[in-house]
Order: sequence, then C-alpha cells, then structure tokens
Amino acid sequence: MKKESFGKILLGKWDTKTIVGVAIGIALFGVLMVYGSITVFTNTNLSLAMIVPVIVGGLFGPLPAALACGVGNILADLIGGWGFWIDWAIGNAVLGFIVGSLKLYGANIDEGVFDVKHMVIYAVLAVLGNVIAFGVVTPIATHLIQGGELKITIAQGWVAAASNATVLLVAGIPILKALAARNARGTNLTKE
Amino acid sequence: MKNFNIINLTKGKTFIHQLSGTTKVRLFAALMVYVMMSFDLPIILPLFIFSIIGLISLKPSWKTIRPIIFFVVFLNVLNIILYWLADPHCGFEYTADKTVLFAYTNYLVVTRGTLWFLLVRLLKMLTAFSTSLVFIMSITPSELAAGLTSLGFTYKLGSIVEIAFRYIPDISRDYENIAISMQCRGLELDAKKTKAIERLKQMVIILIPLIITSFDRVGNISNAMDLRGFGKGKKRSYYSEYPERRNDKIFKLIYCLIALFCAYYIISGLITPRVPKMWIYWRCL
Repeated sequence: MKKESFGKILLGKWDTKTIVGVAIGIALFGVLMVYGSITVFTNTNLSLAMIVPVIVGGLFGPLPAALACGVGNILADLIGGWGFWIDWAIGNAVLGFIVGSLKLYGANIDEGVFDVKHMVIYAVLAVLGNVIAFGVVTPIATHLIQGGELKITIAQGWVAAASNATVLLVAGIPILKALAARNARGTNLTKE
Repeated sequence: MKNFNIINLTKGKTFIHQLSGTTKVRLFAALMVYVMMSFDLPIILPLFIFSIIGLISLKPSWKTIRPIIFFVVFLNVLNIILYWLADPHCGFEYTADKTVLFAYTNYLVVTRGTLWFLLVRLLKMLTAFSTSLVFIMSITPSELAAGLTSLGFTYKLGSIVEIAFRYIPDISRDYENIAISMQCRGLELDAKKTKAIERLKQMVIILIPLIITSFDRVGNISNAMDLRGFGKGKKRSYYSEYPERRNDKIFKLIYCLIALFCAYYIISGLITPRVPKMWIYWRCL
C-alpha cells in the first residue's frame, strides 16, 4: 500500500468515482435533511444529514466532503423550501471539511481502519469543527451577506453546533465503526 | 415520497418550462442577488407578485405543493415571532424608529420600526421561497447542469448536481423501504412514542443499510460514465441546450438589466450608506 502525500489527500482525487461519490452524498444529504431530522429550534434540526460529509470524507477526502456538505445544503434548502441561506451553506462546507478529514489522521473506512485513537480524534474534531463552523464562520458570513441580526444567528449557530455535535457523536461513531467493520472483512488475508 | 415530487425529469409544456436551461439558471442567479440585497418593499414586492404569477403559469399540481407552501409559511411566521421574542428592538438598526405601538411588559414591546422590519423580512423570505420554488419546478437536472456550466463553473460541478438530482428520488425510495422493513421487525419510529435521543439511535439502524446501498451504486455509475468517456474532454455539450430562441433573447435582456440594477444598488449602497437602511412607508407620506 503506497502512502499518499498529505497534500494529495487534502485535495482528493477528482476522478469520475469521486464526482459520483460526491453527487450521491449530496442526494443522501438532501433526503436525510427532509426525512431524518428532529426539530429543535427554528431553522435548526437534530439532522442526521450531518453524517454524510463524514462518510464522503472517509471515502474520498476532505475537499469532496466540504463540497458535498455545502452544495447538499443549498440543494436541500431549494427542495425543502426553507429559502436560500448561503451563509449557512458556507458554514456547513467548513464543517464538512473539518469532520471529513478522516483520511488525514489515518482512519481509512475503505480498508476498515478505525481504532479507538481515531475515534477520539474524530470526536474532538466533531466538537471543534462545529464550534468553528457555526460559532465563528456562519455569523461572519451572515454579517457579510445579509448584514445585522447577529444576535439570532449566533443563538441559532450555537444550537446548531450543539445538535450537530450530538448527531456526529451519538450516530457518527457507531456508523463509522459498522462501515469499517464491514469493509475490514477481507483485509486480514495475506498474499502467498 | 414526501416532497420530492417537485423535481421533474422531463421538460414541461408551459412558457417558463420551454425556456432554455441557461436562461433559467442565469435569471435565477440574478433574482437571488436581487432579493437578498435589500429590505426595501418597492424592490421586493414586484418580484413577489411576478413569482406568484410564474408559479400559477406553471400549472403545478396544487395537491403536491400545498403542504409545502403551508409548512414554509408556518415556519417563517414562527421564525419572525422568535426574532421578535429574542430582541423586541431588532428592527431599530434598520428603521431607526422606536415609536411604541403596544407594550405588554417593559421587555415585550411592539415598536413601529420592528413591526415594519419583521413584515418586510417575512415577505422577503417568502419571495425567496416562491422564486426558488418556480425555479426548481421549471428546471430539469440536465438543464440545471447546462446552466451551471454557462455561468462559468466547470462541467464536473454541473455533473455532480445533475447526478444528485437524478438520485434523490431513488434514495428516498430506498429510505422508505428500509424504514418500513425495519418497522416490520419492531422498530418504533413514531415521533410521539419515543424520545429524541432514542429516535436518533433508531435512525442509525436505518442509516447503515441506506449508506451502504447508496455508496454501492457509486462503482456502477462511475464505471458506466467512464465507459462513455466522461471527463476526457475539457468541455462538453448538453443534449438539452439549443441555440437561443426568441423568448430566451427577451429574458437575456431582462436578466442583464436586473444584474446591472443589482450592481448599481449594491455599489451605491457601499459608497453612500442609506439612512435608514430600508424603505419605510411613513417617511413617504
């Protein structure tokens, strides 16, 4: 197994497989945004769609994950009819990039590598990513694009960050473990 | 299939349907900037009326979109009320007006400025919604991809969006099948009978097979696309694109004018900030 360089993993390989993977990720994001969400606060759901960038990141890299999360958010807004929130899409893209960086710290869902060490890093990143994305980036984007009203956006941002972090921890870790276990089935064979 | 019926995969027959994908995407992009840039009623109201006319002209199946409209109006009204509860003076920054109309307590007061700001804000949100509803109902995935390419994005992004649109109905059908078969095995999904955290855990049980089936498709689709030579050329043409017709030319003029107006409005607002920040009817009386 050849080790890929850090920069290469960061950018991802933009072949047909990645393009289709991101597209499927966006579709899944849209579906889960509509079905798999439990309303907490206005414009904010306990949404299982947040799992999608993690999976896309695990399979294809962080930049595809950011794209899947950002475009998926715009598309879901269009379909679900919540209106157009480009500032939240930017925040989501940042979050997608951070939580989708599994490959950067050595977890590899494709080959079943997801240990306790990776779990801890993943958990820290999930919390940190949400704080950065919705506590910092989204309010700034809102201020630049729509102007004013920061009080509400910050409140919504913290609720969103808390609920996303809950989803990423409670649902994310079991799913990643299950997927890794499924993919690991054939890897303990050695070539003779 | 909850509200994915509004995606259409074949071109409709009405006037807006018959425009080319490039026209639709460019017009929508211009209109989104137009509606986002201000809180002025004279700017927002005409677009709201035109988007309602556009929606009616599409001859939609009202049965499908009525629940969506009700839901969105409800959500936006709720949002407005929460805005007011969080900060009863939230309109002050925009209207610079503190005339009190009603006062329940010292904190919960309805000022004229806030009321006007919130109503215009509600209209703005509804306009953004109705415009995007018209857009999404009039466009097919292939036209969307062609339009995005015409805006200068790489065609790979267009393909991503196109494939995503194509597979949303498939994945939502998979979701429903998996949810039903899990319920057959005794999984309680009723929102009233289970707590939020409990539901979250149960959704994981549905999600694992859904993710596996969804991403198992990737190999098949990408192989099929590779076999047809996807990604070999620098550019690609679209089956749904054709030379401009008369209506496309008319709309080209319209969206160019809108874009020019937006540029003028935003730049002039940056050079000389408007005081107050929004148009207010009682200042014109």
